[in-house]
Amino acid sequence: MSSVPIRTNFSLKGSSKLVSEFFEYAVNSILFQRGIYPAEDFKVVRKYGLNMLVSVDEEVKTYIRKIVSQLHKWMFAKKIQKLILVITSKCSGEDLERWQFNVEMVDTADQFQNIGNKEDELRVQKEIQALIRQITATVTFLPQLEEQCTFNVLVYADKDSEVPTDWVDSDPRILRDAEQVQLRSFSTSMHKIDCQVAYRVNP
Amino acid sequence: MEIAGNSSTISPTFSTPTKKRNLVFPNSPITPLHQQALLGRNGRSSKRCSPKSSFIRNSPKIDVVNTDWSIPLCGSPRNKSRPASRSDRFIPSRPNTANAFVNSISSDVPFDYSESVAEACGFDLNTRVLAFKLDAPEAKKPVDLRTQHNRPQRPVVTPAKRRFNTTPERVLDAPGIIDDYYLNLLDWSNLNVVAVALERNVYVWNADSGSVSALAETDESTYVASVKWSHDGSFLSVGLGNGLVDIYDVESQTKLRTMAGHQARVGCLSWNRHVLSSGSRSGAIHHHDVRIANHQIGTLQGHSSEVCGLAWRSDGLQLASGGNDNVVQIWDARSSIPKFTKTNHNAAVKAVAWCPWQSNLLATGGGTMDKQIHFWNAATGARVNTVDAGSQVTSLIWSPHSKEIMSTHGFPDNNLSIWSYSSSGLTKQVDIPAHDTRVLYSALSPDGRILSTAASDENLKFWRVYDGDHVKRPIPITKTPSSSITIR
Repeated sequence: MSSVPIRTNFSLKGSSKLVSEFFEYAVNSILFQRGIYPAEDFKVVRKYGLNMLVSVDEEVKTYIRKIVSQLHKWMFAKKIQKLILVITSKCSGEDLERWQFNVEMVDTADQFQNIGNKEDELRVQKEIQALIRQITATVTFLPQLEEQCTFNVLVYADKDSEVPTDWVDSDPRILRDAEQVQLRSFSTSMHKIDCQVAYRVNP
Repeated sequence: MEIAGNSSTISPTFSTPTKKRNLVFPNSPITPLHQQALLGRNGRSSKRCSPKSSFIRNSPKIDVVNTDWSIPLCGSPRNKSRPASRSDRFIPSRPNTANAFVNSISSDVPFDYSESVAEACGFDLNTRVLAFKLDAPEAKKPVDLRTQHNRPQRPVVTPAKRRFNTTPERVLDAPGIIDDYYLNLLDWSNLNVVAVALERNVYVWNADSGSVSALAETDESTYVASVKWSHDGSFLSVGLGNGLVDIYDVESQTKLRTMAGHQARVGCLSWNRHVLSSGSRSGAIHHHDVRIANHQIGTLQGHSSEVCGLAWRSDGLQLASGGNDNVVQIWDARSSIPKFTKTNHNAAVKAVAWCPWQSNLLATGGGTMDKQIHFWNAATGARVNTVDAGSQVTSLIWSPHSKEIMSTHGFPDNNLSIWSYSSSGLTKQVDIPAHDTRVLYSALSPDGRILSTAASDENLKFWRVYDGDHVKRPIPITKTPSSSITIR
């Protein structure tokens, strides 16, 4: 069980990195909890004061790294509004779950006043910890995915965003007849992240 | 007729609820076409033609939906060019309606129109929804969430390993102990008294008080070849080199009787209540009823060489003997023909021990040329386990506290081993270097915690093999009722 360092710089760059890292760990956690990949493909690392499960499969790691690095660029350029993780059945091609992370830019009078503030670091870590715990606890009410599933990542970006070639325009893939559950949020000095999950009770 | 149908379809387009209902379509089969229409701006006009024909063929409603969806993609700089392309699309299909449409639209209306449509549909004109193009990697194994969530996050911590004492608790001198593999010169009684034979003398050492006394001394023409306590610890049987068997009363320190019959030395003895069995170098086994004058009540002729191991089962129904002919014999108490004859050993069998918690289980150990410990089912005659001890096996002692067996060894290791026994096999727990020369004799204390060993290095050592911490609840043992033996 290795320990991963926690970002301490809360400037726009640091905050973007922090939020991107959070997305990476949150996506890995959701993939484990919902059983998208087998449990043997995950290992435990220490992060946010929790034992986080991250994928050890090289293909999955590379895939998620690509997505997260692009998210970081968009976030640094203040172009991102939402991150969506859609879980889809492989057999029917039906969307079963939709995890949504809303990204809000927080206006502060002085962008650099919080650099290196120890109390803020601890507060942010606690908030992230609480959100991760809640994501883990959603297995208690989310329906069990009986079929084999895959996932895809959508991004709500500004119209004038620079789009690399491996991202394409898509429809929002909003679930019909779905239940919505609002989860916790956390804030850095620059960003506020909301989390919600939509799932279909009777797919 | 066809024109009338189109006309009826167009009129609901301008009402807001109808538009929202129509937008359900992109989430079902239209999605691929929609994505195709949304791809890139190059060749837009050419792509627009072929989807249009598909739309017309499928349903007129789709055409209307496509019209509405294409409006939000307009950039404001292109606003002025929209009416021309729209009028081009409408004129060939619907001449009358197209004309009216073109005539009614002014240059300002399209922008307001598209804005209100987007607002009604809930779209944000400043936002793009982007999806990662590549598919997620496939899961290499099937996922079963039920087992996954029941799986413990951490392996079960194995309990701390038991520590063995590898130094003797006490060492007594045993000068003149005979270095002979085939003898049995050490025994520990139920009254906590250790008897050891040193050449012509038998000494008893009280483990409670620590006092030593000389119990017996033989003629100068012979020596002591074996000693064995009766079950109640009141009498000590002594086998001599000249074939006689003496019985001593420990309380009064006197010899009670002498029983003759063997032609050669008596190297092993075993009690079965009032019956004492003796094994001889001639290969014969005699049963002596110590209560009557004509003591010899039975003779077993099964071994072709010296009998060096002899043990009654605790219930007295079977007798096991090992000999220098490498043979293990299992006898029924009422028969003089062996029930089973085992020839698996390749050396003399001196170590013979019945399991205290499983009455049919017998352990035997072979000598230098064999080094094997075999386990037998005495009811079926089957060999149930075998282990290679690595050294000459000189004695075997089962533990009364746990399912373990102790073995003492000679060449080449001269060690004491403790094995964990289970039906699937043995696991060695510890190897204790015991003596400088081969360990020849061993005896277990009545509480089962201390094992005494003797070797020709003239040391009598006591090993605390079971501490109080590791002594579990004793395994239930069918105890032989200790009948009081009175000799007249």
